[in-house]
Amino acid sequence: MPETTTSPTRPRPGQERFVAAIEETPLQAIDAVDVGEVPENQWREAWKRLRRQPLFWISAVIIFVLAVVIAFPGLFTNADPQFKQLSDSFAPARDGHPFGFTQQGGDVWARTLYGARASVAVGVLTTVLVAVIGIITGAVAGFYGGWVDTILSRLSDIFFSIPLLLASIVVISVINNVKPDRGFWLSVIVIVLALALFAWPQITRQMRGAVLEVKNLEFVDAATAIGATRFKNLTRHIVPNALAPVIVTATISLGVFIVAEAALSFLGLGLPSNVVSWGNDLSDAQNQVRSGQHLVVMWVPATALAITVLGFILLGEAVREALDPKGRKA
Amino acid sequence: MRLTRRQRLAGVAMVVVGGLTLAACGSDSDGGSAGGSDAVITVYGTNPQNPMIPTATNEVGGGDPIQNLYAGLVAYNADGSVVNEVADSIDSKDSINWTVKLKDGWKFTDGSPVTAQSFVRAWNYGANPANKQLNNYFFYPIEGTDDVGNTTDGAKEMSGLKVVDDKTFTIKLKSAESDFPLRLGYSAYFPVPDSAFDSSGKITKEYGDHPIGNGPYMLTKKGWEKAKQIAMVPNPDYKGAHKPKNGGLTFKFFNSTDSAYSAVQSGELDVLDQVPPSALTTFETDGDVKAYNEPGSSFSSITIPERLPHFKGEEGNLRRAAISQAINRKEITEKIFNGARTPAKDFTSPVLDGWTDSVPGNEVLNFDAAKAKDLWAQADKIAKWDGKFQLAYNNDGAGNKEFSEAVANQIKNTLGIDASAKVYATFDELRKDVTDRTIKTAFRTGWQADYPSMLNYLGPIYATGAGSNDGDYSNKQFDKLVSEASAAQGDARYKLITEAQTLLLKDLPALPLWYQNATAVTGQDVKGFVFTWQQKPQYYALTK
Amino acid sequence: MWWYIGKRLLQTIPVILGATFIIWALVFLRPGDPILGLFGDKPASPAVKAAIEHQYHLDENFFVQWLYFLKGIFTFDLGDDFRGQAISTQLQNAFPVTVTLALMALVFEAIFGVVLGTIAGLRRNGWFDSTMLVATLIMLAIPIFVIGFVFQLFFGVKLGWAAVTVGGDWTVSKLILPAVVLGIVDLAYTLRLTRTSVAENLSADHVRTARAKGLSPGLVVRNHVLRNSLIPVTTHLGVNVGGLMAGAVITEGIFNVPGVGNLAFRSIQQGQSTTVVSVVTVMVLVYVLMSLLVDLLYAVLDPRIRYA
Repeated sequence: MPETTTSPTRPRPGQERFVAAIEETPLQAIDAVDVGEVPENQWREAWKRLRRQPLFWISAVIIFVLAVVIAFPGLFTNADPQFKQLSDSFAPARDGHPFGFTQQGGDVWARTLYGARASVAVGVLTTVLVAVIGIITGAVAGFYGGWVDTILSRLSDIFFSIPLLLASIVVISVINNVKPDRGFWLSVIVIVLALALFAWPQITRQMRGAVLEVKNLEFVDAATAIGATRFKNLTRHIVPNALAPVIVTATISLGVFIVAEAALSFLGLGLPSNVVSWGNDLSDAQNQVRSGQHLVVMWVPATALAITVLGFILLGEAVREALDPKGRKA
Repeated sequence: MRLTRRQRLAGVAMVVVGGLTLAACGSDSDGGSAGGSDAVITVYGTNPQNPMIPTATNEVGGGDPIQNLYAGLVAYNADGSVVNEVADSIDSKDSINWTVKLKDGWKFTDGSPVTAQSFVRAWNYGANPANKQLNNYFFYPIEGTDDVGNTTDGAKEMSGLKVVDDKTFTIKLKSAESDFPLRLGYSAYFPVPDSAFDSSGKITKEYGDHPIGNGPYMLTKKGWEKAKQIAMVPNPDYKGAHKPKNGGLTFKFFNSTDSAYSAVQSGELDVLDQVPPSALTTFETDGDVKAYNEPGSSFSSITIPERLPHFKGEEGNLRRAAISQAINRKEITEKIFNGARTPAKDFTSPVLDGWTDSVPGNEVLNFDAAKAKDLWAQADKIAKWDGKFQLAYNNDGAGNKEFSEAVANQIKNTLGIDASAKVYATFDELRKDVTDRTIKTAFRTGWQADYPSMLNYLGPIYATGAGSNDGDYSNKQFDKLVSEASAAQGDARYKLITEAQTLLLKDLPALPLWYQNATAVTGQDVKGFVFTWQQKPQYYALTK
Repeated sequence: MWWYIGKRLLQTIPVILGATFIIWALVFLRPGDPILGLFGDKPASPAVKAAIEHQYHLDENFFVQWLYFLKGIFTFDLGDDFRGQAISTQLQNAFPVTVTLALMALVFEAIFGVVLGTIAGLRRNGWFDSTMLVATLIMLAIPIFVIGFVFQLFFGVKLGWAAVTVGGDWTVSKLILPAVVLGIVDLAYTLRLTRTSVAENLSADHVRTARAKGLSPGLVVRNHVLRNSLIPVTTHLGVNVGGLMAGAVITEGIFNVPGVGNLAFRSIQQGQSTTVVSVVTVMVLVYVLMSLLVDLLYAVLDPRIRYA
């Protein structure tokens, strides 16, 4: 609370009261604020509301299962995802190999389980990176306007126009030259950077649009009236209220990024073949579509991808509702 | 056995036996029957990337139309034999000095006559580096050029070419080459009319957009519509061996063979000469199309250069042989390519005259896990293996990824070493590392012959210092055998080629993998489909 | 307003400078040697190679190459690609079909996305909403090449309802099937965004007021809920026109659309720097114009947003 309202007994020059002091009126009793209770932290409040949502718990279960698969894929299969034998090419399911084999003779089920790690890492890391960059730049651009907006918006135009393919070829091959043998994480990070470089402007534009809309709403004027600083206004009041479209876009993007890795693999720019990923397997499965044979090599990783995206979309939905002040009914 | 296998190659056999004269080859099957339907056949094509000038075009998008718009000194029959086209005779006594005499009455479609000058001027144009033509390589056998076929010392013309009169010119080669006339059907050797050149002696842009040739077909008025199609109709003045049986050809441009395959299925396209990998399992049983599948002329291999650690000298030879025997070629051609490749038995191609499946020493191309492990162990005694084996491929070629990974997996599983495929996103990226000799891994190589001769698969790739010798292989004895074979004739020549191949099988400068089959689909109503030795449709014979 | 538009258009110039500079840098850093690639698997002649490099200023340093390109842009003469084909012709052939395709995809996703999203948002957590969620997941999880193939095979080859391939003589009706395929992934975004915005706005004060004063539910949705819900959707759609154009590589490949996606893809693969940068320059223009349009639409949709 701004100082002036907390000390009504010492009016500033020019603000002297010529009616009865507020403490002398019965209104005081009615307006009294319970100062004993600590004001609820906005985020803690959101967490409280989150816990009450069934959607959140469904998504939590999905994400928990996913986490277990990522951490201990060996719990669910004994097969080695990297062992491929051409004599097993497209072999049907048999004991220990519930979904049969890929064209190269790898175990479909094991590859899907072990592939979760890279694919989810690509999806989540890219989404987080894109969201952080996009939210900050978009909020700043929309809120401050003027030349800040001009620069950030035009910058996003520039980056938006860079073809993903070109950016990936360059990023990946420059890194190839520096470090040809990459481990798991470095491989993933390279893909994340290539995708993020291309994708952040989308969130920026989304955030900027939402901020433009929100910053004109009454409650922002109210906050300004009671003396909130511009920065505080932005972080406390505007950003949380502008997040909804960003959350929706980001959670869908998560799936899109995982599939985008498939597109990169298809072009030879994805994760190297020593990293098992859904993208790699989906791109390999492409040739089966026309013949319609052995489609199991496609639908197993595709289903895993769909379930993962479902988990994160539901999580996004729950978080968005928890943050939505209009949903605060209790 | 060799000649009986290819008895139908009467053309080449007669050339060889009959004192190097091509005049005798007839074209009875094609003459006269110009009737049939007037239907225009739509065939698969891609937008030509270069101006449509014979010496500038080195990719199929422009190459296929050009083959139909021009006639060279000789033409290839479907079986790889040659028949004289514009040439009346191509003679030589020593296989070095050749005299070409032209037939009378050949005309370009602008009405100008085809003369000796039309050929010599076009060839000199192609060989002069100032003209920036991509096909100069094809002129390297002719005197007055360097190793890559450029005129030497800034000369505008090759010293080996002399115009004698309107209908005669002579060619002097750098060294004896008995099958030189076989080369002359290639598009780089086509003639160009005088009207193509501007006053400064450059071929004009307009010509490149709307070429005027002397071939079976000529462009329609619209001709080449960029990003759409090239339309051509039969050339009424054409008097060669490939008289069109249809009412014209339209090369429709496609982004991918996948979409073209769907277009054939739905009847929007008549002929697709390259079945996409996605359709390889089903195209022969697909009721919507007619399918064609036979051994072809392009050869695939893996090159493991000597300069890689552990691949030098005796140790290197043992390791190459071990890797060769660790690869189960049959399994890959079946499981990955659905039979659209044929396991290699040598370094050439089964469609060629003189090919044999029993070159001594070719058991090294058979899968034998125990032998492979044994050879690898012997090499380990010379120096212990460390590190990993990688096979580089370019991902923009269909099927490369699948087979490279399968090969790497087989090597890994058989020899128990760390082996993997290494991806290059684009062809030029891989090519640069190979050309600069900076590549640190084994890499895939392939060869599509320029003319139908086994020697074209050997000399340009494995001779010391040859232009496409990416592995820097050098074996004096091999060089000697190849140059002797070039000058020799008949069975003596095939014997020398077999000896040379036996040497290669011992040293394995490249590990032969397979021959690519020619595959194609056409609409149900298309008739007369035949593959040429270049795995292309015999366009003039298509009807519907 | 006009001053604002003029100012925005002026800003295009630094954007083009910046974008072309970055793209030049990327093409410059790209590995491989495009001129070597011209020769295919035949040995390259050093003399010819040097002559071609000189013709296209590839022997100059990076900055000079960029200046040559800018000169080409401002004199409206983009020149030839490395194989001697005019770049302007390639752009003229590629852009009309791709713009048409992208706009058709946009109309498809806008109509279906907004209508389905609104219904889902109005009946949140009902069976329709759940069905749409499942549909969204399917659209996301099945790669576009699979959707494209299946549509082509089913609607084109088997049923014969649509042209299987488009080709150089394209028409709007031939582009319907590819436009639907192209729009499908973005449809997922549009649908979810609309749904969320509608659901949020349903509980907004002005909507309650409108209801309270007795407006019919249809009018409330149309005038009060939808109009306010469209800002995020508009942002998404506007920004994505460019994405639809550049991202059409796979769809264009399946349906043989001779468009920008494939031109860019091929040029990047072959290292045709001038073509790549020319394509991107046009794309930048599209982006700048679309984001201007979106900003102007904000003012229409939300009267509180004003531009001076």
